[in-house]
Amino acid sequence: MSYFGEVDLGPSFRPFDALHESLGFVPNLFRAQTLLPRVIEAETGLAAAMLWKDQALSRSQKELIALVVAAASGNTYCFTQQHQTLRSLGLPDHQLDQIVRDRHQAGLSRPDAVLLDFALKLAISAPWLSREDVTVLRDHGFANESILEAILVTGLTNFFCTLSTGLGTSPDFAPRAIAASQQATLPDKRIYVGGTAGPYLDAVELSPESFPPFAFFRERFGLVPKIFRAQTLRPDVIEAEADVVRKMLMPEDMLSHVQKECIFLVGSAANLNTYCVAAHCEMLRAMGISMEESDQIAIDHHQADLSDANKCLLDFALKLTARPSEFGREDIELVRHHGFSDEQIIEAVAATALNGFFNTLQMGLGITPDFETRHVFGPKGAHLSPTADRLAEGAQVDPDAELVARVQDGDLDAFENLVARHSRRVYRTLMGILGNIEEAQDAMQDTFLKAFQHIGAFQRRSKFATWLVTIANNTGLQRLRERRHFESLDEIPSEADEEFRPRQVRAWTEDPEELFSQAERRDLVERELMKLPAKYRVVLVLRDIEQLSGAETAAALSLGMPAMKARLLRARLMLREALAPHFASQAKRMGR
Amino acid sequence: MITCDEFMTELGNYLEGDVALEVRRQLEHHLSYCQTCEVVYDSALKTVKIVTDSGSFDLPEIAARPIREKIMARIRKGSTP
Repeated sequence: MSYFGEVDLGPSFRPFDALHESLGFVPNLFRAQTLLPRVIEAETGLAAAMLWKDQALSRSQKELIALVVAAASGNTYCFTQQHQTLRSLGLPDHQLDQIVRDRHQAGLSRPDAVLLDFALKLAISAPWLSREDVTVLRDHGFANESILEAILVTGLTNFFCTLSTGLGTSPDFAPRAIAASQQATLPDKRIYVGGTAGPYLDAVELSPESFPPFAFFRERFGLVPKIFRAQTLRPDVIEAEADVVRKMLMPEDMLSHVQKECIFLVGSAANLNTYCVAAHCEMLRAMGISMEESDQIAIDHHQADLSDANKCLLDFALKLTARPSEFGREDIELVRHHGFSDEQIIEAVAATALNGFFNTLQMGLGITPDFETRHVFGPKGAHLSPTADRLAEGAQVDPDAELVARVQDGDLDAFENLVARHSRRVYRTLMGILGNIEEAQDAMQDTFLKAFQHIGAFQRRSKFATWLVTIANNTGLQRLRERRHFESLDEIPSEADEEFRPRQVRAWTEDPEELFSQAERRDLVERELMKLPAKYRVVLVLRDIEQLSGAETAAALSLGMPAMKARLLRARLMLREALAPHFASQAKRMGR
Repeated sequence: MITCDEFMTELGNYLEGDVALEVRRQLEHHLSYCQTCEVVYDSALKTVKIVTDSGSFDLPEIAARPIREKIMARIRKGSTP
């Protein structure tokens, strides 16, 4: 039972097998999300990596952390679930209730009680957590691996609590009343730390060249964020997190990536998370949202240049983050009223929950920001640092807006018009990826059919052309992956971009285009482009042939701006290398 | 004074016309005496122009029309958005 309908995913849906295996049943929490199976896949992967087995911490220690965090969050669904799990692991009812009431008088070992102190402080007052709290754990015999697991499980419980509140799931067992805690969990306001005084834990070096999740992050974000580098003691967890990013954040089929980044941004600001706010502002910048606009969304999204629907969506995420006890069915109805589908609302809930997970993780690890921070967070909230530039930018005008609106009203002729306008662009993108005429023409049909299928959900946050090129890109990539022998755009780590050094250093003739006819130049460029690896070919096609802006190219490839720039330069230099023999100054003598 | 490595680090932004005035001045000064970087920069700029003007991977109308017709036929036969 939840706010959302359940669909049958069939007997072959593997995440449900994993749940049967680990818990003996499929909790309502996951049944409530069957409209969006990719989200369930990501979530169960996360839980499997962190919670359901003995690792550095025993399963009981981890389930106890989840129990006290759920109790402190007042979340009956998760509390009942944890209570039941711990009973099945052999802990009696009365001890469980006593642990919630007073963990230091509940027959736990001193280290286990201290472990729960740490988890509670992280869950309830993360910005006040300090290196000292980590030291206390070390003094009680916990090593880096165990402390990392405690942080992860606390974050995961926060994630599940937010999910269950947002989805409105009824408990899977007779609901347990949460015993009143006799211990203060209020922060000591005098030592506000802000979550960036670390890193508190040791990590090992992993390289993007040998660890695919890091290659994935570098491709997407232009760097491997420190939040992932700080968890290298658990590569399996980082893999699960990369999968979550891939399945929950990147897809554009329900909410757009921009909408989800905005949800992360307001949630991170509400959680006073300097690191995550800086990271999501940077992501939004890479997707064409100006820093000023991101600042405004972080500080007060009501004053930002957003549609009413998007403001409502962010109200929804903010309430779920900051005031979960007040959240209810009426909040779901409100976003439905603004036209969001149930799939989109589920995705909004999942994104809000995921943000809570990463916020908790970051504060627990105490990592310093990857990017310049433009916001100063204190115990009372956020304000802009005084140097932040606040120039406003004009809104983008989409030349296809009217046609898109007509298609959304069911006008097929309008869609035919869009196909005619954009077919060459889509074809070139696909040629850039696939390098084969027949396949590109075939994939072009798929692209337009997919665009038609999803245009109802297109929110117009980006230009239609950018959205369409993103679909073409994904369609092309899908085909490339199916061709196993061929190189993928993002899954095979490339040599480090910085290692590329120009070798041809003879000067070029003054006017190289004079040397060849237009047709010869086209043949030459096409021939040399075809020799480039697909990831370099496609960025050249989008930026230099399609002439998309840098931000549009990055958005279409779902890349961060730094990653796109690095790839573009590399591509241009590789092509320069290939063309040099034809255009270097003595070529003039050979003529055409 | 900047090194060739530093020049190469900024080359991407420089080609995109996306560097602050002070950086631009340093890059241009470097180009004034470094023949190798001058050649790389000049030929990279020409490469971009050649690619942009090449008309590569264009889909001729004679090939595009039947594909568009196929797409619309499938859409008209099938679903609504």
